[in-house]
Amino acid sequence: MDLGLKGLKAAVSGGSRGIGRSIADLLAQEGCDVSVCARGQESIDAAVSGFEAHGVRAMGRSLQGRDGDAIRGWMRETVEEFGGLDIFVASLSAGGGTNEDRYWYRNFEIDLMSATRAVAEAYPALKQSKNASILIIATMAASETFVAPMAYNAIKAALVTWSKQLAEAYAPKGIRVNCLSPGPTMFPGSNWEMIKVARSRTFASAVRQQPTRRMGEAEEVARSAVFLASPAARWCVGSHLLVDGGFTKGVQF
Amino acid sequence: MTVHRIKAGDFTKTPIEKTETPDLGTDLIPKARYISPDFMRKEWERMWTKVWLWGCASEDIENPGDYIVTSIGREEILLTRQPDGSVLGFYNVCPHRGNRVMVGQGNATTFKCNYHHWEYKLSGEFENLPDVETFPQGPPPCGGLAPVKAEEWNGFVFFTLNPDAEPLRDYLDPLCEHLEPYHFDRMVKVVDWTAEWNCNWKTSVDAFNEAYHVQGIHPELLYFLEDKHIQIDTYERHNRYLIPFSTISHRVNETTEIPHLIKHAMKEAGMDPADFDGRVSEVRVALQKYKRAHGAEMGFDYSDLNDEQLTDDYHYMIFPNITMNTHADDLMLFRQRPHETDPDKMYFDVQMFRLLKAGEERPRKPRNERFKHGERSMGLVIDQDAANLPGVQQGMHSAAYEGLWLGDQELRIRHFHKVLMDYVGED
Repeated sequence: MDLGLKGLKAAVSGGSRGIGRSIADLLAQEGCDVSVCARGQESIDAAVSGFEAHGVRAMGRSLQGRDGDAIRGWMRETVEEFGGLDIFVASLSAGGGTNEDRYWYRNFEIDLMSATRAVAEAYPALKQSKNASILIIATMAASETFVAPMAYNAIKAALVTWSKQLAEAYAPKGIRVNCLSPGPTMFPGSNWEMIKVARSRTFASAVRQQPTRRMGEAEEVARSAVFLASPAARWCVGSHLLVDGGFTKGVQF
Repeated sequence: MTVHRIKAGDFTKTPIEKTETPDLGTDLIPKARYISPDFMRKEWERMWTKVWLWGCASEDIENPGDYIVTSIGREEILLTRQPDGSVLGFYNVCPHRGNRVMVGQGNATTFKCNYHHWEYKLSGEFENLPDVETFPQGPPPCGGLAPVKAEEWNGFVFFTLNPDAEPLRDYLDPLCEHLEPYHFDRMVKVVDWTAEWNCNWKTSVDAFNEAYHVQGIHPELLYFLEDKHIQIDTYERHNRYLIPFSTISHRVNETTEIPHLIKHAMKEAGMDPADFDGRVSEVRVALQKYKRAHGAEMGFDYSDLNDEQLTDDYHYMIFPNITMNTHADDLMLFRQRPHETDPDKMYFDVQMFRLLKAGEERPRKPRNERFKHGERSMGLVIDQDAANLPGVQQGMHSAAYEGLWLGDQELRIRHFHKVLMDYVGED
């Protein structure tokens, strides 16, 4: 099956590490130009040379996720540099926090607002594309109680709801919007890698709840993500795909 | 990822220069030092009775008449505050029939042996000997309790069984200059534990003299400190290493989320991790700047400490048996005491001190709690060490084991043994 990605232009927020990096990398492998943004310049540089090795154009910007102007600026530069945009994947996240006040603002600004701001900025370019798609990366922790009450889980839930509404509004404009919720995922530098060592009981409990008895790998999530974002998933509109190795116990009717 | 270090020229009162690495060879350290009763006896005669030893915190005997009984080997020592504010030390033994004079700690106007009520002034001289006329030979010519030298420094009382010992400050050299900026005398004791451990006292000293074991038995600390690329300094008797805290080990990958122990350190200083936009590897320096800027308003005086000392663990060993984890806001002091008779046992004293905020009410003084290994938790990290050490001691007895095979990361252990053998002379 041809995913139809060759020659398309993609932007992945938070694409320098983990799931976002893996998505951007697969998109580049499939022949997309890719642009990423993240905090660390070193990891961006490494990621960009990795993408370029697939023979595509690639760029990256170092920024703070809660800086709205920076997010918009990155999207604007991406569209200018690539001369358009077909795919936007919102993967930037502040990660889990606690239930304290400031974490609500942190996840609100970094997980939610970076997505809404980037989408608003990308909209004119996406409207011009024949293969426009937006993929929002949420978390299975939005659908399933997980670890503890915290901003991360609830703010990601807001993204799920927003993506559905956006799908309905953008479908007539030719822009598909979908949402993907990964389960616990392990990769070098992942928070789970730290939790496995630093809070081994929390880690053991998460693995115990996982029927596959292991965490997912970034590429296992990215493969589903790239499919959903690609023209091959043309009839997927407003879907919410759980890619969690069977973690969630609830039945989605 | 490199850990930011202060440089020559930056503000510091505590010397930060790296000492030249001594050439101490690569020889095996013979295991007999840890298990042999003969070596234990030599250690007592040639080392324990010659050196200065940490006795108590000054606050333990704050007021005139306050006293505390501490022990080293088979000896009990009575330390007491005099009306003029000085400290005196005595062997805690009544020259009459050998009974111990005092127990524990408290306040007294005189010291009275409970056997026949021989009574001593705070200065140790005889106060009252009941029926003294029934001793035709008169009272013992010693005139009272046998004195031991005691001196006070930076909030602590030290004593020595060596009447010819040099002044305490000379013995501690150069650590007075290193440690005085911490002002331990401004801190108050919040924890006072004594645990009996089934290992030699040196097995315990060794465990705190290297960070090589962090990746072994304290893996969660890899997300709180740098464990390998650390500065080790050795002095005439004592030594130290400087461990960057509130950062992650080069052995692990940097995460998006700030590890919980680092978050905790930020919160303690009043810095909200949720508002920190930098990377995990940038927290340490940011926290140093934050504490420097906000210390005074939080009620802490950090003015004598350099920036690193605001986050890091400057980890000192005062020969022979004091381990000090020094931090800007607290001190975790371990004292390792040999068992009276058994080289396979020891007493592990934990004393934690905390800097009070300006105007903060002094917390209730902790009572010394005594327990055997495993009877109560001393916190995850010490518990991990405590659980491990009996196995080390056991293994030392194996016919297949000859002694300690040490690497560069264990230089402090080698240096400790060099100083030990300077006293003991021979295996």
